[in-house]
Amino acid sequence: MRARTLMAMGGAAALLAVAACTPSGGSGGGDSNEIVWAIGGAEAQPGGIHQKVAELWNELNPDTPVRIEILPNEADQQREQQALELQAEGSGFDVLGVDVIWTGEYQENGWLESLEDVRDQIEPVVLPGPFESAIWGGELWAAPYNTNAGFLYYRTDLVDTPPTTWEELCEIAIEVGQEEGIGGYIAQGAQYEGFVVNWLEFYWGTGGDLFNSDQSQVVFDVDRATQATEFMAEALDSGCFAPGFNTAMEEEARNEFQSGNAVFMRNWPYAYSLIEDDAESPANGNFGIAPMPTFDGQGTISTLGGFNLAVSAFSDNKEAAKEFVVWAATDPQVQRMLATEASVPPVMASVYEELSDDPVMALLGEVLADARPRPASPAWNEISVEMQRALFPAYNGDADARDAAETVRSFLESTIN
Amino acid sequence: MTSTTADPVRPKATRSLDLKSRRAARRRDAAQLWGKTALLGVILLWCLFPFFWLIMTSLKQGDRALNSPNLFQGPFGFQNYLAVFQQNFHLNLRNSFVVAGTTTILCVVIGTLCAYAIARLPMKGKVLLLSGVLAVSLFPPVALVPPLYELWRSLGLLNTWEGLYIPYTAFTLPLTVFILTAFFSSIPRDLEEAAKIDGATPFQAFFKIVLPLASPGVFAAAIIIFVQAWNEFLLASTFAPRHPEIAQTVPVAIAYFTGAVEYQRPIGTITAACVVVTIPMIIMALIFQKRIVSGLIAGSVKG
Amino acid sequence: MVRATVTPDSGDASQAPVSQNDQPTDRGSPPPRLRQGLSERALGRLFVSPSILLMALVALFPVIWAFVLSLQLYNRRQPQGFGGFQNYLEALTMPRFWDSIQFTFLFTVTSVTAEFVIGMGFALLMNQSFRGRGVTRAAILVPWVIPTVVAAQMWFFMFNITPGFINNLLGLENFNWLGQRGWATFAVVFADVWKTAPFVALLLLAGLQTIPGDVYESARVDGAGPFARFWHITLPLLRPAILVALLFRTVEALRVYDLPQVMTRGAFDTESLSMLVQQYVVRTPDPGFGAALSTLTFVLILGIGLIFVRLLGRDLVIGTEGSRR
Repeated sequence: MRARTLMAMGGAAALLAVAACTPSGGSGGGDSNEIVWAIGGAEAQPGGIHQKVAELWNELNPDTPVRIEILPNEADQQREQQALELQAEGSGFDVLGVDVIWTGEYQENGWLESLEDVRDQIEPVVLPGPFESAIWGGELWAAPYNTNAGFLYYRTDLVDTPPTTWEELCEIAIEVGQEEGIGGYIAQGAQYEGFVVNWLEFYWGTGGDLFNSDQSQVVFDVDRATQATEFMAEALDSGCFAPGFNTAMEEEARNEFQSGNAVFMRNWPYAYSLIEDDAESPANGNFGIAPMPTFDGQGTISTLGGFNLAVSAFSDNKEAAKEFVVWAATDPQVQRMLATEASVPPVMASVYEELSDDPVMALLGEVLADARPRPASPAWNEISVEMQRALFPAYNGDADARDAAETVRSFLESTIN
Repeated sequence: MTSTTADPVRPKATRSLDLKSRRAARRRDAAQLWGKTALLGVILLWCLFPFFWLIMTSLKQGDRALNSPNLFQGPFGFQNYLAVFQQNFHLNLRNSFVVAGTTTILCVVIGTLCAYAIARLPMKGKVLLLSGVLAVSLFPPVALVPPLYELWRSLGLLNTWEGLYIPYTAFTLPLTVFILTAFFSSIPRDLEEAAKIDGATPFQAFFKIVLPLASPGVFAAAIIIFVQAWNEFLLASTFAPRHPEIAQTVPVAIAYFTGAVEYQRPIGTITAACVVVTIPMIIMALIFQKRIVSGLIAGSVKG
Repeated sequence: MVRATVTPDSGDASQAPVSQNDQPTDRGSPPPRLRQGLSERALGRLFVSPSILLMALVALFPVIWAFVLSLQLYNRRQPQGFGGFQNYLEALTMPRFWDSIQFTFLFTVTSVTAEFVIGMGFALLMNQSFRGRGVTRAAILVPWVIPTVVAAQMWFFMFNITPGFINNLLGLENFNWLGQRGWATFAVVFADVWKTAPFVALLLLAGLQTIPGDVYESARVDGAGPFARFWHITLPLLRPAILVALLFRTVEALRVYDLPQVMTRGAFDTESLSMLVQQYVVRTPDPGFGAALSTLTFVLILGIGLIFVRLLGRDLVIGTEGSRR
């Protein structure tokens, strides 16, 4: 009987091997006029804002319809999938949704079509920060699509006026935190890209920078970097930073603030409506937003996020794809839709003026003016990894802050030439 | 040795002593039973608590409940499951079943033959062969991806079931061969010899005598292969990244779940999908492992 | 003990009578031929070839490719010409490489040891008959069938301060499991043990089935207690299964990626070798250096794997030793 079972298994194997010819699905190649837009995340899902933008385009341009090829949720995996296709010089993607930090890398690999010839259509209407993130080597490689900036969330029932300096923020955080028995400031402190974003906000807040404007020289200031890292280390020790700061990403930070366990939070605008929707949250109705503090109380600094749209160098449909990305960056209706229908921060300056009644948009309009992109260098991924590896242990007290800053500086220098 | 000296004492034992020892034995049994039950409880808790967390989380609705450390924070409902199946998850399940099933069958059939040859048949350089087989599975998978991707692309194997179960079979064969070789070599040789004396060919000796006896090993290997192929992510996400209607498997599909807005973590749908894929696996494991445990008994009756 | 009955066979192989059976290539029409009987040697070659063929076809090409690649120099993805062993030299002099080896070894030794002990316990339990053993057996396998990526996220959730299930459960206010050296490693090892002890259990359980009951019976008659029976009978007879389980757990643990990647992202000295390889192949691609790191990892793991194969070789091949000569 046992032998018969095994015989049956063998038979089934043969059957399956014959039958296991993959069903040929309807996708692949398809229309040569079709524009395939490779982008991921929540807004690329059915019903998301990217889909609505595509629908709008398809109404206006039925001859060159856009179809979204949905990529995974995590940015790293999105980049991986695009890289596989582009490395093989495949024409599967026409328009690429590229994170603002990928521009230089993609360009260096020869994966992008230059948008220099449509620069004058884009530059006048788009915010300078997001525009800068699409420039590498003095040339435009992508059309900004949406942007993002962080700001300070604070509890209005516990804090009268939002702090403008980091010292002030920590004083309040410790004092109020102890009174209420909750944590102080929560942000993105885990070892990942988000930590670099946060550290840069501290560092830029001291007046330092990484490169000069055309990124030909390193202007990294070791003293200021040390100051920023040491401040974080102290804040972690003194209880200014909420427990779990050094393992928190966006969602952990939001969760901590939303459940009433933190006085302050640094986060992207997405958290605003989620906290507003949570009727049981202690923060609901009791929180406000303000620009991020700096060390001297002057101005504000935020690191830019967001996605640009680039045209693949291997696209069979470059002209139409180019038209599409320019349209998405500069059409007031599209850019307005991003803000009103999905609270995705648009890149078009005029939209912020129009929507200044909305508290988030009003603050974003203010913050974005001073927001900075991370360098568009092709080496950004390596720089980021190196910064994480040097600065994360330093602020956790496992390494010397000055040594860490020196390491970062010499690495930055090695990426130039 | 000790029992031979103890034996003559037994008949002389008095009634009362016998009773006392029986009572002691009963008490010992009771203590043992309690100990066993407690141990079982600990084991069940250890294994199942996280799964219980998965189930509870998958039933939670809304951002607040999902991010709460309280397992019983409601509201509860089946929304996450509905959301999962709205994303063509049944197609992903189908793909995973075909890919993992085919891998299992191919691996067991091919691997059994190879293992039997190594364990039993005369051959030169067996240790070298085993080393080579092992080496196949040891290269860091992430480094295999770029060259294989190019190769698959030129062979037209991207986005196909074949493109997945062929490498799965190749990379799981080493484990299969090792498990089965260990089993075949632990089966007493005299059974085969007897069969051969009765006029069986080497193949018949293998197929009718050794194979049934090794069935616990075969089924253990089958479960392991199936689960590994079912859960594989790296190759699946590279060779068949999109299109549930073609070949996208379950773990890859899970990586495409998103929250309602950017950054929001899709815990609800991930846990729901995980429960959906785990339950058939548990049933499968139950059926297969019955074979593992009863295999020898059934086999020895036959032999 | 069991092998005492084994008689070496040499007759059949040498006697192999029919000459046309020496061509193992024809797999199309087996039945008539099988009746005559293939010689054992031919049968051996026939049985081995599909495995070897498939593994060679799929695995050989990328390994050779990687080795060739590892001799090239790159600046990110831009080729810079032939570099000989420069990539290897660079890898071997990188402190980060040795740090990741240290973590990987620590992780492997601790997790495999714990998995073996717990897995053995599970296997012995699953092998007994008691009420509710069906449920128990299914329960023991649950952790292992949960996809690794999901399990990793789950344990991140459990251990992390927010939302903090474990702290809640144990009444530890804000213990930062993942945010400090040592405990971060512990959490990763713990998650791995939870996840893969059932794998070990399954292999050992299957191994237990091959131990005939009468061996225990005679030992019990000899007055051996349960511990002595385990030590003197179970363990030695289970040796091949144990070695196979340890071998594959070890080489898997040496290539651990998902758990530390999701739970700690390599912070607090929890960066594994595979994470390092992944970084240079995918995250900050340098194909040459990535391939060199992969090759080094491969050689290292193969070296450790071969120790097991040597140990195993005796057990697995011993039966045919006689016929080989």
